[in-house]
Amino acid sequence: MKESEGNLIRQLVRDHQPAVRSSDSNPWLRVLKKEAASWVSDMTLPNRKMEAWRYTPVDFIDSTAFADVEEGPFEALALTDIEELLLPDSEFTDRIVFVNGYYAPALSSLSEQDGVELYTLEGKRKLPAELKRRIGQADLSDHFFFTLNNALISDGAVIHVSREAAQQHRRIELLHVTVGMPDPVIHNPRHLVVLESGAALELVERYASLGKSRYFNNAVVDIHLSEGASLLHTRLQEESEHAQHLTYLNVNLETGSHYEQVSLALGGAWSRTEARIHFSGEHAHAELDGLILAGSKQLNDVHLEVLHEVPNCTSREHFKGLLDGNGKIVFDGRILVGRDAQKTEAALNNENLMLSRSAEVDTKPQLEIFADDVKCSHGATVGELDKEMLFYLRSRGISKADAERMLCTAFADEVIAAISGPAIRDHVKKVVLRRLADQGKTS
Amino acid sequence: MLTIKNLKAAAGEKEILKGLDLEVNAGEVHAIMGPNGSGKSSLAHILSGREGLEVTEGTVTFEGDDLLELEPEERAAAGVFLAFQYPVELPGVNNTHFLKEALNAQRRNRGEEELDSVAFMKLVREKMELVSMKPELLKREVNAGFSGGEKKRNEILQLTLFEPRLAILDETDSGLDIDALRTVSEGVNAVRSEDRAIILVTHYQRLLDYIEPDFVHVLANGRIIRSGDKRLALELEKRGYNWITESEAA
Repeated sequence: MKESEGNLIRQLVRDHQPAVRSSDSNPWLRVLKKEAASWVSDMTLPNRKMEAWRYTPVDFIDSTAFADVEEGPFEALALTDIEELLLPDSEFTDRIVFVNGYYAPALSSLSEQDGVELYTLEGKRKLPAELKRRIGQADLSDHFFFTLNNALISDGAVIHVSREAAQQHRRIELLHVTVGMPDPVIHNPRHLVVLESGAALELVERYASLGKSRYFNNAVVDIHLSEGASLLHTRLQEESEHAQHLTYLNVNLETGSHYEQVSLALGGAWSRTEARIHFSGEHAHAELDGLILAGSKQLNDVHLEVLHEVPNCTSREHFKGLLDGNGKIVFDGRILVGRDAQKTEAALNNENLMLSRSAEVDTKPQLEIFADDVKCSHGATVGELDKEMLFYLRSRGISKADAERMLCTAFADEVIAAISGPAIRDHVKKVVLRRLADQGKTS
Repeated sequence: MLTIKNLKAAAGEKEILKGLDLEVNAGEVHAIMGPNGSGKSSLAHILSGREGLEVTEGTVTFEGDDLLELEPEERAAAGVFLAFQYPVELPGVNNTHFLKEALNAQRRNRGEEELDSVAFMKLVREKMELVSMKPELLKREVNAGFSGGEKKRNEILQLTLFEPRLAILDETDSGLDIDALRTVSEGVNAVRSEDRAIILVTHYQRLLDYIEPDFVHVLANGRIIRSGDKRLALELEKRGYNWITESEAA
């Protein structure tokens, strides 16, 4: 470790700490932040000598003087200001909006129905001890950006869903909006979603920006599914093209719970998702579908860790990467089947389509199996557009550019079709089409 | 309409066509027959603009234009259609979407007005009936999971939909049972007209029972070695290709 390494970010953490904010009325949160801050000052910054960071340079964290947004002054923002980001229909009556890392009550609306409770970390509503405990029990020694998030937590939503919500088919959008600031800023939203036993929810976690500002969104999302709970989770990252984005996602599945995720990593200059799917009860199921785009000047990294530690659980992960220009995708997926996890069924797959020879994919699907009665598979492919398919389309009169676009759309559509809810599906379709059209122009 | 003069082509080092001449006029149906490996399919591919085959000598003129200069999509718009021997599966591409995009791309390229969805659906349903294609195949992905017969019908559907000036059918009869062969042939006969030419590339005489050719050419070793009318095909059927390739060598 160089003497100067990480000075900027460590200084930011030191400066953040003494300021006890007026709204920071939660002593337990202060304790957590303080502890995390002391870890940050000692931890080694991620670097390419570490296996998990081998293909993903993180120079920006050392070379950018990020400012911390000290409080959320965004109550001035009205719904009309973020109109361009809103999905054009009434599917989302339940919307929780965070602006620059802080809860924006004026932009949020949560219908008064039984079964869903919303708390915010900086809000006045007192968080039940059980939920506090779930946030506080973090292992701070392990992961730099997770610990950094803990040290700098801006605000966060705590969504508690009880069994009553199961009948109502609730769909909640958790929308993150970044409004441009003159200097690069860092946001550290920290969310917790707890589904009690038998509860069901649809959650859309979305990151978008107004303008082309430069910022680092360093988010942590913790999800806990109790016995028999069911979560449909759409993750849509469409950050500014100058943004850095990292989400550290932790999903814990208890007995018989069901987790479905469709993840769309479309934006940002530098983006990384680290998802840990942890089976802690039997007969639980998780499936994750993902679409990763990487155009020119874009790095998009997905790290998955699927931990089968108990018997009789099933999981399926299928991530598709689409690259153009000098875009870069890093995929690292690992299924770990522990000694006791008999009858595990797990499949992990990563497919990549490269539209340009200067693009780069580093893919590493891994299986580690310590049980003897399991059904597991993993694989990865990297390919170009099929010449036969292109010729077939062109021989029917379709131009080369349109034929390429059709085949790319078809490639992406497999993931897009898995999105629940037509409004968000159409929105994603539009974003992907626009991206493909833009790429067509530059290539 | 189509004039091929002294066409020579190679795939890498291998010479496939060794000086081929062919004249096709509007209203005519030409059958090109020949043993396996004679260069029949290569000829079809060169006419449609497939990569991988290099024309080393000779000319191909279509309606006065140098066909070899045109991109595959330009050839389609100019009215050249190739029905593939092995139609390509396009997973994730909806068949209706594909057919409509293709037809409208050709129309756009010719400066004609595009068909809207209603007009297109009306047209495509009409044509599907003609080739006895199950309507649900429209909703499926292009050729993906189609049976051999369904794939060929999808090709002939395109033929009837695009109404090209010149249709080249590459071994369209291969892998078809008698019923499928009959409906496919009906589709082809339906587009037969005074201002349209058809080239049938086939190994067997069987197809010619259903689509009667005006001319039959035998292609062997990269050249047309014998031309005649439909009686030549019958003769070939009776005596085999050896009869003609050997008499040629002699």
